[in-house]
Amino acid sequence: MSDQIPLGLIGISHKTATVEVREKVALSEEEQTMTIKHISENLKADGVMVLSTCNRTEIYFSHEDIHSVAGQIKTWLNKLKNCTHFSDTNKIYTISDAEVVEHLFKVNSGLDSQILGEQQITGQVKDSYELTHHLNGTDALINRMFNFAMQAKKKVHNETFLSDGTVSISFAGVELARKIFSDLTDKNVLLIGAGKTAELAAYHFRENGVKNIHVANRTLERAKALAEKLNGKAFTLEQLEEVLETADIVISATSSETYVVTSKVIRPVAKKRRYKPVFLIDLAIPRDIDPEIDKTNGIFLYNLDDLREIVQSNLEKRKKEIPKSLKIIHEFVLEFRKWVSMNSMTVVIGKLKKKLDVLRLNEMDRLKARLPQNGYKHEIEHLTESIINKVVRQHVKSLKEVAHDPEEYKRRVEMILNIYELENDN
Amino acid sequence: MKVFSQIISYSLPVLYLLVIYVYYLIFSEKNKSLVKKTTPILLVLVICHLIEIVTRSIALNNMPFSSSHDSFAFIAFSIVLVYMISEIGLNSRGAGLFILSFSFILELLSAVNMSWETETNELLINKTFAIHASLSVTGYTALSLAAIYALMYIIQNHNLKKRNLGKLFTQLPALNYLEKMSLRSIVTGIVVLGIGLVLGHYQALSNPLIGEFFPKDIKVIVSDTVWIIYVIGYLIIALKQWRGAKLAYLSLYGFLILIVGGWIIIYMSESFHKFN
Repeated sequence: MSDQIPLGLIGISHKTATVEVREKVALSEEEQTMTIKHISENLKADGVMVLSTCNRTEIYFSHEDIHSVAGQIKTWLNKLKNCTHFSDTNKIYTISDAEVVEHLFKVNSGLDSQILGEQQITGQVKDSYELTHHLNGTDALINRMFNFAMQAKKKVHNETFLSDGTVSISFAGVELARKIFSDLTDKNVLLIGAGKTAELAAYHFRENGVKNIHVANRTLERAKALAEKLNGKAFTLEQLEEVLETADIVISATSSETYVVTSKVIRPVAKKRRYKPVFLIDLAIPRDIDPEIDKTNGIFLYNLDDLREIVQSNLEKRKKEIPKSLKIIHEFVLEFRKWVSMNSMTVVIGKLKKKLDVLRLNEMDRLKARLPQNGYKHEIEHLTESIINKVVRQHVKSLKEVAHDPEEYKRRVEMILNIYELENDN
Repeated sequence: MKVFSQIISYSLPVLYLLVIYVYYLIFSEKNKSLVKKTTPILLVLVICHLIEIVTRSIALNNMPFSSSHDSFAFIAFSIVLVYMISEIGLNSRGAGLFILSFSFILELLSAVNMSWETETNELLINKTFAIHASLSVTGYTALSLAAIYALMYIIQNHNLKKRNLGKLFTQLPALNYLEKMSLRSIVTGIVVLGIGLVLGHYQALSNPLIGEFFPKDIKVIVSDTVWIIYVIGYLIIALKQWRGAKLAYLSLYGFLILIVGGWIIIYMSESFHKFN
């Protein structure tokens, strides 16, 4: 009986390879399917899971001979992708045993992500598992590892702040707007400028429920083109004062060398709005909005530096959550180890029960000849069965007590195997 | 019953403190797992407080607002109840630490000053008086909540202006939510307190025993003045369409007048509203 978990992993990720390499080694769904089938059918792996995202390509598999199979998988992948990256020891990592479990738990919780704490990865892990499950490529070990990974992620998410606060500058603007207006659906957004930056920011607001997005630009044609995409209205900069009166959120991203929105413009607007809050985001460099206007009641002005600071502070906050998250991950790895031990215990105890039953039935046969007709046969059968069950239960209890200690567990299993002369199939 | 009621009454401030500690842990982001447990915790607090109010009323044979300090406890209870409902509805816990701390102060004042003599005044078992008293207390509760929301608005407005985007900022609700809640609480307070006061006046005029004290009673004068100030304030807000920080400051000033008025009533005057 081995205390090693027969799990292996080979992978290339953002930590070991550039985006060009990651693009090259990424597997399409068809390639993933081919790989799963090859590893299951030709390499005789008990279970396999392929995770391929823009940041990583990883193959998880269960097999008694990890290193030999890992080598064969690398050869297959090099051939499939027509490259040598899977043989490059600087780019590829191969791990085995409980480290594989820990790695998947970290990946699934966002601890191994390029953007710490991001949650998109959980969906990608789930998709990978579903694909392999659909192809009958999983075994009990992979199934249980996936289930534990999801549970660990849930606990990390519920008990730490690892995924809290935005770490994207574009979303930082949306998050701040929510702290002013809570519900954005009925708010009016005004874009000043019709370039890519303004457009991207507009899409973030639209994804978060904003329906009314209008565009003001120096040239009306460009404003119209963007407004059409956003189902909004187009204005020229000359109409700015009038449009600002109804705008709750203003995003400015022009290439103007001077301020587009000045205190002279905004003060009367704020007064007309009865100082109802207006959130202005200045994404331009040089700045479009006069910083003086932030002193006006009800006006909240944030520029690129402010947004960067928010993102930085959220990242710091997430980093502080790493030890707490790792503690949860380690708890789950230990639980997984226990499950593996229990699973192997079922095999040992099954053998023990079978052996004792054979002994019991042999003794019963010998006794039958000496027993008178109807002479307590059923009672004796019941008694011997009961004695055997009690002995087996005692052994189960003894193994369960040390399930957390692989060394002692292994020693006790070997002792049972030796005493009862059971076959050791490792 | 009296001993049981006394045990609960004196334990309540401790229970409030424990709940405030839970909210402090959530507010300071020290324990995220508590976030999903606040509703049952608040429910326990509300039930315990309700038991305290009921047992005390039974033990002393009076209604829950027979003294000013009793009313404090009832206001604390109402605030926690209203907060619990809004927390469940909005799934936002940011205001909890502030609101519960305010309730705790009221509850503590009540527990420290509580009288345990059985009530003998006939007025306190009169049903119309009970409605007048409960409406007035509910009205004061709403105005207190309006002030708490206004205070949070001012803090959050300051956070946004000064870019103090730390824990306090993260935990406090959005500005327009705070404004909406403050305004709604003011309207509720004005209406409910108004009905309560009208009912009180009607009772005082129709009952000769009370009527002879009525015009000179400082509690009546102060309550009417506070209510009129709130009505005038609200009309100005509605006509001028004031919003944002201006509204929040007005709500706070109104509450300050209410507190000063309450202090005059409780500690400076001899009112017919005092019993025992």
